[in-house]
Amino acid sequence: MSVIEVKQLTKVFKIPKKEPGLGGAVKGLFYPQYQNKTAVNEINFKLDAGEIVGYIGVNGAGKSTTIKMLTGVLMPTSGSIKVLGRDPHKQRVDNAHDIGVVFGQRTQLWWDLALIESLNLIAKIYNVHPVKYKLMLNQFTETLELDELLKIPVRNMSLGQKMRSELAAALIHEPRIVYLDEPTIGLDLIVKERIRDFIKAQCISKSMTVILTTHDLGDIEELCQRVIIIDDGRIIYDGPIETIKKRFGKFREITFETVEDVKVLDLPEGAEMLSTDDHKVQIRFDRTVSTASKVAGAVMNQIEVRDFSLSEPELSDIVKQIYNGALDREAR
Amino acid sequence: MIQTARRNLSVYGAVLAMIPKQFMAYQLWFWIGLVLNVISMAILVYFWRAIYANTSTISGLAQNQTINYILFAFIFMPLTSNDLIWEFGSNLREGTIIHHLLRPINFQGMNYAQMLGGLVTRLILQVPMVVVAVLVFGLRFPTDLGTWLAFILSALLGFTVMFFFNWFLACFTFYTTEIWGLGVLVDGMTFFLSGALVPLVMMPEWVRTIVLSIPFAQALAVPVGLLTGITPLSDAPQVWFIQILWILGMWIVSTLFFRIAVRKITVQGG
Repeated sequence: MSVIEVKQLTKVFKIPKKEPGLGGAVKGLFYPQYQNKTAVNEINFKLDAGEIVGYIGVNGAGKSTTIKMLTGVLMPTSGSIKVLGRDPHKQRVDNAHDIGVVFGQRTQLWWDLALIESLNLIAKIYNVHPVKYKLMLNQFTETLELDELLKIPVRNMSLGQKMRSELAAALIHEPRIVYLDEPTIGLDLIVKERIRDFIKAQCISKSMTVILTTHDLGDIEELCQRVIIIDDGRIIYDGPIETIKKRFGKFREITFETVEDVKVLDLPEGAEMLSTDDHKVQIRFDRTVSTASKVAGAVMNQIEVRDFSLSEPELSDIVKQIYNGALDREAR
Repeated sequence: MIQTARRNLSVYGAVLAMIPKQFMAYQLWFWIGLVLNVISMAILVYFWRAIYANTSTISGLAQNQTINYILFAFIFMPLTSNDLIWEFGSNLREGTIIHHLLRPINFQGMNYAQMLGGLVTRLILQVPMVVVAVLVFGLRFPTDLGTWLAFILSALLGFTVMFFFNWFLACFTFYTTEIWGLGVLVDGMTFFLSGALVPLVMMPEWVRTIVLSIPFAQALAVPVGLLTGITPLSDAPQVWFIQILWILGMWIVSTLFFRIAVRKITVQGG
C-alpha cells in the first residue's frame, strides 16, 4: 500500500519581471509584468510505508517546492497528491496530524522557552496521550541525549543541540510520514551520526515513511535504499542507490606508491594518468574497457611499486556526474 | 464536536499559560520598563495639573476625575497592545509561519490565546505602577461592583476588537515583509487615538467623531470611561453592543483579508 502518491504534479510560480533602473521600477509599479517559472514539472512517484527516500538535486531544482506541496502549505498548480488518501492542501489540518516536519533552516520551537515547555505544548496540540507522551519523552531524552537540554531555552542552544531538539519536536506525536529538509545542514560528524542513527531506529521501530532532502550524500548512503533525483523540476532518476552506482560508477581509480619518481608511463587502453607527485601515481580506468589487473600489471612491469590501493566510486562523484548531465548524454 | 472544542480550549489554555514564562525571559527589561513608566506617568500627571491650574473643570470634568482617568488609562494601556503585528512580521520574515500553518489547530485561535496570555502578563506586570499611582498620584478605585463588572466586560470586548484590527493590519506584512514601519506607525497611532492622553469628552466634536470611527478607542477610552464614571453605568449595555458590532465587523474584514493574503505563502511560496 502506498502512503504517498504523486501524479503529474506541477507548480508554476508567477514571478514579477523587473526592468533595470528607476524607470523600470516605476513602470513595474503601474504595469507589473510577470513571467512564469515552472519549479516542479509533471512529476510522478509513489512511496510505500516504511520507506526512507532520499530526494536530491541542486539548489533550485524543485526539492523544497515539492516538500511544501506534500505537506499541504503550498497549493499545486496542477496534478494530484494523495497523502494517506487525503489531499494535503484541502485537508491541511487533518493531514497535519499525521506528519512531522523538520526544515533545517527554520525552527518550530519557541525561541525563549525551555525545550521541555515547547515539547509539552506540541504534545498538547497533537493530542498525544499523557502516558504515551511520557514514554516518548523518556525514549527521546535517552537516544537524542536531551537530558541537559530540556531546561535550556532554544535561543541558547548550539546548532547541533537545536537540531536534536527539532527532531524530538517533529516526532513526538509519532507521525506516519516525516519530511526532513536538510536535517544535518551545518552539523559536525558526531552529531550527524547520532541524528542518522536516531532516524534509522525510529523508522524501523515505527515503520515511519521518510522523505529526506539533503546535499549530504553521507545521509543518503547511510539512510536511504532509494533515491529520487530531481533536476530543473523533473525527476531524472528514481530507483535504488545500487543501480545508480553501477550505471555511473564505471570509472575506478588506482593509486600506486612507487620507489622512484615517475614521469611517463605506458598505459593500456581506457586508462589515464590523473596525477603524479612524490612517489605517488593516480590512475583512472574505465571498467568497461580495461581491468584492474591489466592496469596494475602494466604499471608494475615498468616500475617498482611499494604499495597500491583501489578505490570504490563515491556516490558524491556519481551525483556530480548526474548533475552535470550524464543522464542526458546516456539517453542520447 | 464538543470534544474537539474542549481539546482546542485546553491547547489555548496551555498557550496562554506559556506567555508569562516568555515574558520573564528578559528580566532586565522589566526593571528598565518600570523606571520609564514611572517617569512617563509623572509627566502626564504634572501636565494635567498644570492645565487645571487656572480652571476647575474642563468639559465638565474636575481635575481629580481627569487625573483618575489618565492614571487608569495608563495602567490599562496593555489592552491596546499590538504585539500581534510584530509576531506576525517576525514569523513571516523568518519563515516560521509555515510551521504554524502545519499545526493541526486553528491559527487565529492560537494567536488569540497567545495575545490574551500577553495581556494577562502585562497587566500583572503593571501592579507596581498601580502602587505608585495610588501612593504618589492619589489614584482612587471605584467601590461599586457593577462598575467593575461593566469595565471588565467592556475591556475584554475592546481587547478583542483590537485583536482583529491588528490581525487585519498584520496581513499587510504578507505583501511588504517589512514590519518596522507599520509597527511603529501603529504604536504611535494607538497612543494618540486610544484616548490615553486626553479623555474623549474633551476632544473637539470632529476629532471625537474620527476617533470613534476607528477602533483604537474601543480598547481603552471606552472601558476606562466606564471605570471612571465618565460614561454612566446605565450606558454600559449600549457600549457593549457597539463593541460587539466592532468585533463582528473587524472579524469579517480581517478573516477575509487573511484568506487572501495567506495565498502569498500557499500559492506564491512566500
